[in-house]
This record gives sequence, C-alpha cells and structure tokens, in this order.
Amino acid sequence: MTFPAYEKETQPFPSEFASAFREARDAATGVLTEEEFKAWADCGLRMAKRAGRSWEAAREYFKASPALLRTLPFSYFMEWGYWGNVLVEESPVIAETYFRVGPEVVGSLDPWEVAEWAKLGRGLYTGSRQSSALCIRFFEASGDLLKILTLSELQHLMLLIESVGESSAEEAVALLSLSREVLPSLKEDTRACLSLLSALVREDWRQARGCLGVVREALPRVERVERARFLALAERLAGKGDTDIPTFLQEGSRALGHIDGYLHIHVLNLAEALAGINGGVVLDFLRGVPQVLQRISVKQLETWHDEGVTILKENPEGGSAFFRGESARSVEMLERLSTGVELGRIKETMRLYCRALTAMDVGIALPEEREAQIKGWVAQEKAMTGEAMVYLPLVVERFNNKEDNFDWFKVVATHQVAHLEFQSFLFSFNTPAVLFPNLRPQLALGENGEARAAGPTDIHRFFALFQDGPLARDIFTAVEDYRLDHRVKVEYPGIRKAYARVQANALEERPLIEEMPAREAMVELLIRFGLQVLLRDLTVPEQYLEGVRTLGEIVKPLSLPQASVEDTAEATIRLYQVISQIPNEAVPQQEGEKSNLPEEELGGEDMERMLKRLLESMLLSQSGEEQPYRSPPRVEYRGEFSPELMQLLSRLKESRTERGAKGKPMSKEDMERLLANANNLDLQAEQGELDQEGIFVTEVMKELGLEGTPDGSRPFNFPYDPTYDKEVEGNPLEVKEPFSFLYDEWDYRMADYRPRWCLLREKDMGEGDASFYATTMDSYATLVAQIRRQFEMVVPQGLHKNKKMQDGDEFDLDSVIEAMVDIRSGTTPDDKVYWRRNKVQRDVAVVFLLDMSASTAEAIDESRRTADDWDAPEDPLEYMFWLRTRRGEGVRRSYKRIIDVEKESLVLLCHALETIGDTYGIYGFSGYGRENVDFYVIKDIKEAFSERVKRRIDKASPLQATRMGPAIRHAVSKLEGIEARTKFFFLISDGRPQDRGYSREGVEKEYAIHDTKMALIEARQKGITPFCLTVDKEGHDYLRAMCQDMGYEVLADIYALPRRLPTLYRNLTR
Amino acid sequence: MAEQVTYRSYQAEEYVIREEPFYLPVGDEIELFEAAYAQKLPVLLKGPTGCGKTRFIEYMAYRLGRPMDKVQGHQGNGENTGGGIPLMTIACHEDLTASDLVGRYLLEGGETRWVDGPLARAVKAGAICYLDEIVEARKDTTVLIHPLTDHRRILPIEKRGEILEAHEGFMLVVSYNPGYQSALKDLKHSTRQRFVAMEFTHPPRELEERILEHESGVPGDMARALAKLGEKVRNLKDHGLQEGVSTRLLIYTGRLIAAGIAPRRACQVGVSWALTDDPQIQRSINEVIYSIFE
Repeated sequence: MTFPAYEKETQPFPSEFASAFREARDAATGVLTEEEFKAWADCGLRMAKRAGRSWEAAREYFKASPALLRTLPFSYFMEWGYWGNVLVEESPVIAETYFRVGPEVVGSLDPWEVAEWAKLGRGLYTGSRQSSALCIRFFEASGDLLKILTLSELQHLMLLIESVGESSAEEAVALLSLSREVLPSLKEDTRACLSLLSALVREDWRQARGCLGVVREALPRVERVERARFLALAERLAGKGDTDIPTFLQEGSRALGHIDGYLHIHVLNLAEALAGINGGVVLDFLRGVPQVLQRISVKQLETWHDEGVTILKENPEGGSAFFRGESARSVEMLERLSTGVELGRIKETMRLYCRALTAMDVGIALPEEREAQIKGWVAQEKAMTGEAMVYLPLVVERFNNKEDNFDWFKVVATHQVAHLEFQSFLFSFNTPAVLFPNLRPQLALGENGEARAAGPTDIHRFFALFQDGPLARDIFTAVEDYRLDHRVKVEYPGIRKAYARVQANALEERPLIEEMPAREAMVELLIRFGLQVLLRDLTVPEQYLEGVRTLGEIVKPLSLPQASVEDTAEATIRLYQVISQIPNEAVPQQEGEKSNLPEEELGGEDMERMLKRLLESMLLSQSGEEQPYRSPPRVEYRGEFSPELMQLLSRLKESRTERGAKGKPMSKEDMERLLANANNLDLQAEQGELDQEGIFVTEVMKELGLEGTPDGSRPFNFPYDPTYDKEVEGNPLEVKEPFSFLYDEWDYRMADYRPRWCLLREKDMGEGDASFYATTMDSYATLVAQIRRQFEMVVPQGLHKNKKMQDGDEFDLDSVIEAMVDIRSGTTPDDKVYWRRNKVQRDVAVVFLLDMSASTAEAIDESRRTADDWDAPEDPLEYMFWLRTRRGEGVRRSYKRIIDVEKESLVLLCHALETIGDTYGIYGFSGYGRENVDFYVIKDIKEAFSERVKRRIDKASPLQATRMGPAIRHAVSKLEGIEARTKFFFLISDGRPQDRGYSREGVEKEYAIHDTKMALIEARQKGITPFCLTVDKEGHDYLRAMCQDMGYEVLADIYALPRRLPTLYRNLTR
Repeated sequence: MAEQVTYRSYQAEEYVIREEPFYLPVGDEIELFEAAYAQKLPVLLKGPTGCGKTRFIEYMAYRLGRPMDKVQGHQGNGENTGGGIPLMTIACHEDLTASDLVGRYLLEGGETRWVDGPLARAVKAGAICYLDEIVEARKDTTVLIHPLTDHRRILPIEKRGEILEAHEGFMLVVSYNPGYQSALKDLKHSTRQRFVAMEFTHPPRELEERILEHESGVPGDMARALAKLGEKVRNLKDHGLQEGVSTRLLIYTGRLIAAGIAPRRACQVGVSWALTDDPQIQRSINEVIYSIFE
C-alpha cells in the first residue's frame, strides 16, 4: 500500500516542520489504514495552514503523533487532534503547548478522558492575556498533576484556581504553579490537601497560596498515617475562620514534630475535640503539648485536657489561658499530674515484683473489679484458675513526688501478697502454734467428746469451732493482718517508712469508734492495732482503754517474726472468747478526751485478771439494745482475704490433678462430703450475713455441677465433656482418595497402637488477601526490624572457620605445624592442613503446625481488654501496638481473635526465616472425628516463599476440633523427607487436644494427651526436636504431662506471641 | 637485683588444694562423691551457674587427699602430701581439639618433642580431671573421654601409638548446665550415660545465709537479707530471667557491701544489672532490693 507523500504540502513551511512530518509519517504508515492516514495528515496540515504561526502547533502535533498513535485508539486520537484544532483557532501558542504535553498527559488518562481534559483547558481561556498564561500553565502542569490526581480532582482544583482567578489572575497562576510543585510530593495526602484548599478558597482565598507554601515542609513532621487527619483538622479550623491556617500548619506541625510519632494520634484526638468547642485555642493547645508531655503521660494529658475543656466551656478567656499554660490552675494541675503514679505504667513491674516475693503468678486488678468479680461469672473463672489477685488503685497522687506515690503502690502490693508469702492460706488445723499453747485440739473434741470441727478444709474446720462465724472470721482476718503488717516490716525494712505512711492514712480513714456498738468496737480495735506502729500511740476514747490493754496483750506475740498463721488461729480463739461475750450494744458517750494508753500499764499483768476486768468494764458501760453484729469496713490497702475460698480451691485443684494423674476420679463419697460440708458453710453464712465466701462457695459448687442439694439426695453427676462419644469402637479405615493418609493412634489403655485409625486429608489452604501480610509487616515494623537484626546475627555462626580441611582458603597454621612435626618425627603427616569458611552451613529444617480449632476463634479475653484500657504499656513499641489495636477496635468494632495473633506471628516468623534461609514448612490442622482430620498446607516445606503463601496465611481460620496426634505424625513425615542436620517441629496451640471420639469412656483428656505425647515421642525418635507453644493459661497442667522432658512453653499473654515466637525459635536453634 | 616474685606457679600435677575450702553440704553429695571415687566412677555435675559445683570439686579434692580420709587404693605419690589430690580443671570451648587434651608433638630446634596434654597428665598423675561446661566442647572431642569412663579406664594416644592406663587415683568429673535452652547444645546420650549424675541447685536460704556470711564477710543480718534477695530473685526464673541469681553473685555483692558500698547500690550492681539487660525486669528486681534493704 502506498500512502501519499504530501511532500508538496509541507514545502511552504520551515524545514523543521517537514522533518517532524516525515518522521511522524514513517511511524504512522505502519499503524494506520490508508483512510486513517489521510485523516491524520489532513488534520495536521490543515492546522499548519490556518494562520501565520499555527505551523508550530502543527509541528508539535506531528511530533507527538508517533507516541500517541501507539497508545490511543485512532478515534480518540482524532478527538485529541480536533480539540487541538479548536485551540489553534483561539491561540496557536496554547495549542502548541497542548500538543507538546500530549504524550505525557495522555499516558495518565483513560482514552475517553482526553477530550474532557482538553475542554478543561479550553475553558480557562477567555481571550485575555492572563487567561492565556493560565491556560498554558495548566497544560504544562497537567502531566505532573495527573500523576497524582484523577481527572475529576484536577477539574476540582482548576475550579478552585479559576475562582481565585476571578479575584486575582496573577494569584491564580501562582497558585497553579505551586500546586504543580507541591501536590505531587504529598503523595497519599494530596486529596486531604485539596480539600483543605477548597475550604480555604471558600473562606479566604488569600491563605491558599501560603498554605500550599508551607504544607510541604510541615507535613513530614507529622506521623505519616496522621497527616490526612492533621490537614482535616486545619480544614475544620479554616471553616471557623479564626485561625491563620498557614501559621497553624507551620507551628502545629512543628509542635507535633517535638512529640514521638506514636503519640500524634492521641494529641490529634484531643485537638479535634477542642476544635469542636473553640477553634482559636487549638493552636495554643498544640504549641503547649510538647512541654506538657515532658512532664506527664499521654493518659494524664487527657485529664489535663478535659480540665481545660471544662474551663473553656464556661469561660473562653480562661480556657485559652489554661491551654497556653498561663493560668495557675493549669500549672497546679500539671504539678499534681506529673507527680502522680499510674498503675498502668507500673503494672508489669508490680506483677514481677509480686512474682519475686511469692514465687507465684499474681494478677493485678483494680479494687472496683473485685466487686464485679465477686458477683459476676468472671469471678469464678478467675478464681478457678487459682490465680491470686492483688488490688491496686488506678492512680496514686497523694504525695508531691513520684517516689512516695510509687511506694504507696509497693506497700499495698507487698501487704496483699504477704498472705501468700507468709502462708496465711496454708493454715493447718493440726499444726501446733509456735507462740501460743494449743487450744484447738481440745476444742475440736467438744464437751461430749464428739468432733466439732468438720469441714472440707482445715480453715473450714477451724471456723466450725465458733458459733458466730462472721465474728470469728473478722477477728481472724484482723489479727492475721496484724501479724502480716509486723512481719512485712521486719522482712522488708526498705519500705518500713512508706508502710507507716500507708497505715497512718488508713487509720485516718477508719470510722468513728464512738459510734459503734461494743462488740464491733472491739473488732475495730483489733483492726486499728494493725494500723498503729506502736500500740501506746493508739488514741481511743477513754472507755476503750481497757480493751486496748487486754486485747493488745493477747495479740502482742503475733508481732514477732516467728509467729505463724496457727498462732493467729490461737489468738483468734482467745479473742473470740472475750469479744463474743460482750453484748453488741451501743456504748454511752463518756465525757473526756481521747487518750493514749499510759506506757507503764502495758504488759506484765495476769491475763485472766485483765480479761475479767475488761469484761466487767464493758458490761458495765452497756446501755441500749443489742444490735446485730456487722463487720467493720475493710481496710482498703489490705485487699481481699478469703482463706476459706483459697483452701477450698486448692483442695479442689488437688483432687483434680490427682484424678488426672491416676486416671481415677475423686470418689463419689469424697465429693459428697465436700458438698455437704460446703452447704453447712453456706447455711452458716446465711445465718449471719451472706458474706462473700458463702456466695463463692455456692458458685464453686455450681461450677462443678454440685449445686443446691442440701440433703444430698440428688444423684451425683460428674460433668463429662460433651464431646464424649460412646462409639469408640470401630474398625481401621481405608484410603479412598489421593492425598489421604492413614495414621495409627496410640491407645494408652491398651498400651498399643490402634492400626490405621485416623484418616488425614492434606489440602492446600485457600488463598486470601496478601494485604494481611503487608499490614502485619507494617504494624509491627519496629519489631520486624528488631527480629531481622537478631536473625542476621545468627547467620555468621554458619560462617564458622573450619579447620583441618583437605583444601581450602588458606593454610591452618596449627595443622601445618603439626604436619611439619610429623614429617620431622618420621610419621606420615596429615594432609588436612587448610581451613575453609562456610563449609558447615546452618542446616536447619523446621515445621510449624498451627492449631486451627474452633477455640482459636475466641476473642482475646474481652474482660482483659477492658482492664487493659488503662494499661498503656510504657515501652513505646508496645504502646504503638496497643494504640493501634485500640484504635482499630474503635473504628471497626472488631476484636482480635487468638488465630489472628497466631497468624501475625507466622508472618513475622516467615520473614525471619527467610532472613536466615532455614528450610521451613507451615501447616494448619483441624477436623472432626478420626476419619476427618484435615491438614492444611500453608507453605509446604519444599515450596518457596511466594505471594501465594502470603495469601494462604490470611486464609487460616478457626475450624473444628483438635486431634493433634495424626496431624503431628503427618507433619513429622514431611520433615522426614528433608535432608537436614537439625530438624525441629513446632506446635502452636491454644489448648489441650480434643476431638469427638478422641476418647475412652470418660477419660478423653488423658487419651488425647497420651496419643499426642506418643506422636511427639515418635518425632523425637526420628531425630526431630519437638517443641510445644501454647497460649492456654492452664497449659502447664497438660503440657507437663504431654511433653515431659521435651521443650514447651506457656505464654501467659497472647500478645507476647509475635515477639516471643521468633526469639524462641532463634534460641532453640542456636 | 633480684626479681621479686609476686606470683606462684605450679606444675599442673602439683597443684593441690592446701587449705580446706569452705563447703557446706546440702545433702548427701559428699558421701556420694566419695563412694564414686572409691568405685572409680566418673561423675557428672549438673546445676545452674555459680551454685557451687567447682567449689564442691575443690573441696572433694582436698578432702579425698587428706591422709585420714585416704580412700583405699590411692597411693599418695609424694607430691600431694600437703593437701588433696591434684585437681586439673579444663574449661571446654568449641575449639578444643583432641590434641589439646591428649598432647602433641612440638618442634624444638630441628627435633620434635612430645608434650602431654592436660588430660594425659591427669591420667598419669592420678588427678581429678574436671572438664567444666562439657557441652561446649565439640562432639568429636567429647568421644575422646569415653574409654576413660568405663571399666577400661584407658586413654589411647593415637599419635604415639600408646595406650595410657589411668592411675588408681584418677577421676573424671564433668560439669554441665542444663539451663541452656538450646536443643543443639545437649549432651549426647552415649556420653551422658557414662557418668553418675549429681544434681546441684541453689542452696536453701539458711545454708546460703551461712555461705554468704562466711565468704563475703558481711554480718549475719546482711547475709540473711542477701539470701532473702537471692530467693526472691530466683522466683523470677522463667518469668523474664533465664537463670536465677547465682550464689557467686550474691557473694560478690556481699563483698561490695563489706567493702563499704551501700547495700542498695551493691545489689543493683551485683544483682539486677549483672543478671539482665531488660529494663523492666531490672526495675522489678530493684524494687525487691529497695524493699529488703534500707
């Protein structure tokens, strides 16, 4: 096909036009039909002929053609040409620019948008010189702007600029140039900035350019994810009109720049709240924040902010002075906040401190939670795990320095764990007291010689000695606390001073003893003994002096360090004998001041005479009616003390573990006895006041399925696991489809394998969204970097210098000398005289097996999450993570499940393993019944890491039950096929193995554990090191049985998993 | 001018403990060790670092060498009348080779000369050879001691084509700290099952108190407080601490205190900073310290 040459038509024009045409023609002949070619050439040539300088525009048309003809469909191309023609008519210069930028701009547009874009430019030209300049600038800027904006956003921008142009054409041109320069550098925040601009143009167009001028400098100071919000805040302020936005951007961002990035979200939250009230103070607030945050925590910042808001609402002037830090109230508040100590910041320290003191895991909670727990179901959950709790206040701001405030926490914690440390709960009925003669044995027999002391535990038996249970318990508690207070001060002299402060404070808060009836007053006296450093310093009304003297004499031995809880019991017996005889009647107020006990009167007198005298004096002074006995209020710092519950729980636990160990349940008679006794206790408690222990015990019984049969007539039912299945007998299975595998299962009762018992199906995990991987990497960015560093340090060990090689990099001096010696001494030298690097590579293969049972769907302990709300971690990294999860919750109202954390951990681990290049596989398992064990391949051990693996990780989700045995066996078979010097098998689970029919008549737990254990032993016999990691708090129980001498770890805190897993792996394989 | 000798040096075979080391038995370990020595059984000492394994060996070397306690069969060879049996301690590390233990030829001028390694010397001299931290040694080195640990009691010296029969009094003792959470560093069973194993733990509070009092020279109250601190800090093992504080560290702390350093400060230096780099745990330990010490 021949195309017309058009040589003649190009002749009138300068040679550069002709050459541009020729080049374009050569390119066009290849892609256009004859007809199209003609249309194309005509379009350009017609344009060239139109006016004097229009050939220049036409030249650009031809220059741009080769590129555009390739990218644009011809019809759209012609549309582009058509609009060029239109422009040429207006102004050849504009058209020239239009054509020149064509290839660049059209690349960022969809074909059908080209005309829109041209029209947008055309619309800017109104015939004036200024508009022509603007229009040219527009076309020039289009390429850059369209890289970041969509066409409609560009339209939006131009609309703004045009409206500025109505006021000032120069301003409009300047704004457009600036936009072109600034907007692309803002990346993802461009839209927010555009929106701010439109607000500004609406309110005060003069600020628009200033704003664009500073935004590029200002934004990088703000945490990346918060930049859009920062701009939105500026926009909001712009709407109010009382803030200069460029200044705000400049100074606000500078202030934020002084604060750690992870706090920005918090500060911006507060600033936004403030913007809703009074826009003018927002900048003041932001300016002040860096200084304020140097003194107080973010949490406290909120308090400070709230205070300011309150003032602001009443008095805008005062409010703005507050935020500028110019008001006395603001200064004073900062002072108070900055010396206060929040529990959240020291919780972890206190937890470890308590752990150190007691060797037990101690939970930390707020006093308010205690009330909630006693009533709600949560209580039993917590109580059933036997976890001791320490109750600490949310914040201590009593003193004007941090040390004293912190010491307060420490004293409270030390006292509360003293119950554990000095064995209040280990009371044994038959253990003799150290300091007192023992009355218990004879009391236990009673007058007629029949046993009076009965109860499920020793402490129950002890309280059974008394008619008035609540009174005895109050006396016991008060006296035991007295013992502990003294003991702690002896054992921990370092906190003695702080301790005295706490006690003095508690003493001040005691109710008036004058208003108490006599018996209660006596108990109150006992409580006060413990709060007073020296007995003689205790100030009481005159009529109680006798009481102080006598009761003080009885409890005095308990202040010695060798006093035991049995001594407390003996003292309780003696005190009870006195106090229970005192009628609980109001005591007439006597004239005269409160006084102290004269020193010389302390001690030395005969006890019996003293008791008699006390009784007489109290009986004498009685007046009025006998009132029911009510316990005096508890001393706050002393926390919860319920020895009966603790003993009962540990008793139940013992019987449980016994059952577990011997495979024999506690005998029915035993349980019934326990039940009957507990009911006694219940009734007793109800006779007095229904106290906490009473409620607890009922709940405990309920938990065991033992509730409410006072006569014990109902047949005793032990709650069996619902998965219990009678159809345990069955036949070996057969493989019917590919990718199915049969495994034996160990039956510990038979002490043999059940052949071909489980059918396992291997499946590829479905593919989810790879963004989960990216998001996780993002949100753990700091941790990822940390892990990477740690793992990179592992690698050089593989670069170990290997001596005694037959060939290598260099001579090994030692070997060479040895060889020389051999030669001289006439023996044959060893020829291995070289050393070489990197011969022994790290050669580790590992398989991770992920438990995908339904239980992993559980939200991570909701109650804990709320408790954590005030528990902001101190570590910035953790804080960030905490904040993110918290914010995520707020936005999406979603919660994290165990599996989510497991998945996140896998992501981090994959990343780490890729760093060191170990061979690894990741699998998940779940299933239902022995014929349906599903085994999911997330990353096969021989498979390379890829996008698909990332997507599969996302897909891991909770399914059914946990039959661990066959899954372990299959995972191990995967490892067997790999050549590696060291092989590991990692099991990550959230609880004990269980499945339908993973059982033998009611011993399901044991059966499953034994089978799992056997599978792990098999692994070890194959030279594979197994390791189990669980996030189940009760994991110690069965993991100990399951793993024995194999490695295992129980993570108390599931959130520790992402951090712990890589570290663990690194340590194990080191 | 005569050079002043500021040190004493011994031939390895001649190094005997001359003064009775201070050792408080926790259980029946002394009887067990004596029986093992009499029966020529090799012994494995397990236990966390700084709980007294080395001191125990020193003590036993002294005790077994005392004339009155002389175990039948062991003939004092003249050199060790002053104290105990010679004690040869070899710290194991991963570059320890067979010839480091057994011996090697050395070049001397144009000649070669054979030099016995410490193990060979101990075998010849009838010393107690104590291989500290045996897991650190390479596995091929570890197998070298196998023939010494069974009924043969021989040490083959390959280079010279000799076989050394152990002296009557020779005894092999290895120590091992199972606290390492590394699966790659574990004793092979073939090695492990050649030793009778004695397990050591940190001494109970009362004993530790006496040890501290004796070793660091602090008064009884202070020793008690330090022992209390030791017990409390050990409660944090596996809760952030890989290992509890060793008796050795407590002794050092006590010595600092005896030298006039304030107790709180000494504990910080000797316990919390020495144990961990984790600021959180350091802080918790410090709080325990501040509670116990004024």
